[in-house]
Amino acid sequence: MSHANVAVESHAAGVMEERPFAIPSSKLVMWLFIISDAVTFGAILFAYGYVRNASADWPTPFEAPSIWNALLMTFILVTSSLTVLLSLRAAQTDDRRGAFNWMLVTAAGGTLFAILHLREWMSLIREGVRLFQNPWGAPLFGATFFSITGLHMAHVLAGVIALVVVALSYRAGRHTAKHIEIVSLYWHFVDVVWMFVVPLLYLMNMKH
Amino acid sequence: MNPAEKSRGMSTTYAVYVVIMTMAVFQVLFAFEAGPSLPLMLMLAVLQASLAVMYFMHLGQERPSLVLALIPYTIFIFFMMNMIWSDSVRLLHMRPH
Amino acid sequence: MSDAAAAVQHHGPPQGFLRKYVFSLDHKVIGKQYYGLALVAVFTGMFLSWLMRFHLVWPNAAIPGLQWLSRVGAPGGVMTPEYYLSLLTMHGTLMVFFVLTNAPFAAFGNYFLPIQIGAEDMAFPRFNMMSFWTTFAAFLALMTAFFIPDGPPISGWTAYAPLSAVGPDAGPGLGWGQNCWAISIALFCVASLLGSLNFIATTLDLRAKGMTLMRMPICTWAWFITSCIALLAFAVLLPACLLLILDRIAGTSFFIPAGLVVSDRLQPHAGGSPLLWQHLFWFFGHPEVYIAILPAMGIVSHILINSMRKPLLSHKVVIGSMLSIGFLSYMVWGHHMFLSGMNPFSALVFSFPTLIITIPATVLTLIWLGSLYGSNLQITTASLFSLGFISMFVSGGVSGFFLAQPSIDIYLHATYFVVGHFHLVMGVAAIFGIFAGTYFWFPKMTGRMMNETLGKIHFWFTFVGAYCIFMPFHYLGLAGNVRRYSSFVDDFMAPLMPVHKFITIAALFTGAVQLVFLFNLIYSRFKGAPAPDNPWNATSLEWTIPSPPPWDNFGGKHPVVYHDPYQYGVEGASADFIMQTSPEKLPEKS
Repeated sequence: MSHANVAVESHAAGVMEERPFAIPSSKLVMWLFIISDAVTFGAILFAYGYVRNASADWPTPFEAPSIWNALLMTFILVTSSLTVLLSLRAAQTDDRRGAFNWMLVTAAGGTLFAILHLREWMSLIREGVRLFQNPWGAPLFGATFFSITGLHMAHVLAGVIALVVVALSYRAGRHTAKHIEIVSLYWHFVDVVWMFVVPLLYLMNMKH
Repeated sequence: MNPAEKSRGMSTTYAVYVVIMTMAVFQVLFAFEAGPSLPLMLMLAVLQASLAVMYFMHLGQERPSLVLALIPYTIFIFFMMNMIWSDSVRLLHMRPH
Repeated sequence: MSDAAAAVQHHGPPQGFLRKYVFSLDHKVIGKQYYGLALVAVFTGMFLSWLMRFHLVWPNAAIPGLQWLSRVGAPGGVMTPEYYLSLLTMHGTLMVFFVLTNAPFAAFGNYFLPIQIGAEDMAFPRFNMMSFWTTFAAFLALMTAFFIPDGPPISGWTAYAPLSAVGPDAGPGLGWGQNCWAISIALFCVASLLGSLNFIATTLDLRAKGMTLMRMPICTWAWFITSCIALLAFAVLLPACLLLILDRIAGTSFFIPAGLVVSDRLQPHAGGSPLLWQHLFWFFGHPEVYIAILPAMGIVSHILINSMRKPLLSHKVVIGSMLSIGFLSYMVWGHHMFLSGMNPFSALVFSFPTLIITIPATVLTLIWLGSLYGSNLQITTASLFSLGFISMFVSGGVSGFFLAQPSIDIYLHATYFVVGHFHLVMGVAAIFGIFAGTYFWFPKMTGRMMNETLGKIHFWFTFVGAYCIFMPFHYLGLAGNVRRYSSFVDDFMAPLMPVHKFITIAALFTGAVQLVFLFNLIYSRFKGAPAPDNPWNATSLEWTIPSPPPWDNFGGKHPVVYHDPYQYGVEGASADFIMQTSPEKLPEKS
């Protein structure tokens, strides 16, 4: 965070009203952003449900390998949520080296997630799934799958960049545990969205 | 974070992590065995998400007023969005063939 | 970064032209930038409405110079029916997004919210700057549509699918024109998100000592509630725009049904639903109406209290009504869709909260009128425009009762009745709120008074003119005159032409009167009488600082607040009004 917000963060004690939620403004803003983004994902998932309901021949192509891959991705993402908490804990106990390393582990987890996801995409594309075409049925399948997972992956990539940037500034001493906490909130949110994407996009569309 | 929370350590977090992953595995195994059931899948997802929000994101440790400001408002929006379903189901009967 | 070192200042005094006036972090400059952008947009939009009104009554007359705007859309200066729709789209989009959302909320909110709560700036000045420049980029993206050979899109500000989704086959402007529209609105969503995050954080966290939530002025509350609505409403429009862009560019089909033949070509789309677009759009669109009107309500309350020299009947009930309007605004979007083919049962469900939402609106109106009763109202231009706001809000609101009922709406839907309704209740009313705010706060923003005589002339002609334009719309609608037609020369609508002529003349005249306002604005900026710190003897914090305020608002001091915002005419007090910052003890109420 730049020096522009410094005064706000210090919130000169005694000359201003107490903050109603007793958290820094930047954390409040991250929470507000998260509910706003949750509604964005919610709206796009509702749109998916709407067109899925309205289609007679919605394909259910996912077989066991895809599902296991999705479970592996869940494992990686939830574990990276754990490592970012380890980083936060290290930062709060002034273990600067540990905090920095755990941040990098988290970013690596995010990258691995994105790679596995791209592998999944590529295998679908090899099977003939395009944005508006697939060998099995309603062409909107590809559109919903790629747009929702694409939006999620964009969030993951943005998160990886944010993690690396905050980690480097933390090591340089410009950022503190508070910033790690804020970026970790975002990272957990990406995780939470994935918890809805897996059952709705993968499990509901598995072959049975 | 106050000192009491610091000393409590990460044990709760590890426990929540294990529970969330167990739920994820159960979800997948259940889907393999009995086929995906939307209510169950959604219920598990909501449970997982609530655990993550309360313990990973530490919303449970914030003031209750923050929880009351964020969560009911978001749920209300999702609740209202359900008004679209009646149209999506009718669409099947209105298809051009 | 050390917290202690940074006690007072966010950012030093701005240096250099760019930092001071262009990429400024100062909320006051950003507020003025929003205001300037809204001014450009409102005059462009008004000019477009002139062109449309002119075309409606003289469909074959050439408008000199119009061929330069679009050679395809207006060959020889006579606009084609399609170009009429293009202008209509641009008029609606400019007015709703770049005027009604920007001016009362982003412009005045940015300028006065931090000052009214005793803060030096917004919580995140950089976000604030990004928010404005993203809005500006959205504006540029929208205006680009004018310079595309086949002109702006013809799908209206609501961009109903499938017209907006199938692409150039469906008509002029639906190629890159519609893309520009969708990109512009997606950018606007992002800008609004940044803005509302900032507003909420500022209101909650940066209040001066003693400024409890209930001591905030009503307009601060209005901006706060509006930003809470905008936070989640625009979050729904954003994915809708993204899906629309996918439909248009990537060939998907979220909003396009199967078997659609447009311009004799079977569209290569299947499976989507135009109703989905309407649901997503109006889920945002109805809260948007309240994003436009709530700040105007707040501004008007703020000004009326000052002119009446007494508080409203109840501060708490006003805030409660605004909160319940915000809450209900999410439950009523389906009333825009009664005739869209939506499930008739849903229509019933949506009609009920639509009628309920009139209750808080009526409570607000009754509180304004009840407070006015027996008060010694000072007639200034600002208070006149505030009264005008109430008048417009009531006149336009009453026709809402009719439209809220599905059975009556079957007849009235897509007629001029609807056009009259929303122009009065949301368009003109909010514009009156903006005018009131401008006349009231101009001294603070520039350090000079506006000319009251010109202001009153401006008010009376605008007030009468607005009624002359929009009241007949209701009669036209009842007579069955459909909206969005570009000419009414034949059939049952031909006898209505004299009414249309009257409206067009009134519109040209009322539009011209706005030049008086523009002149007043520019003239007073440079030649107006110097303004004292507190020209209206008002009580809230913005009047405790110099006009115009220094870059850090309170000169490095931290104001302390002792009173409720509207202490006018308190019995036994030392003066007619008590500033919020005055440490004077109020006599006990007996």
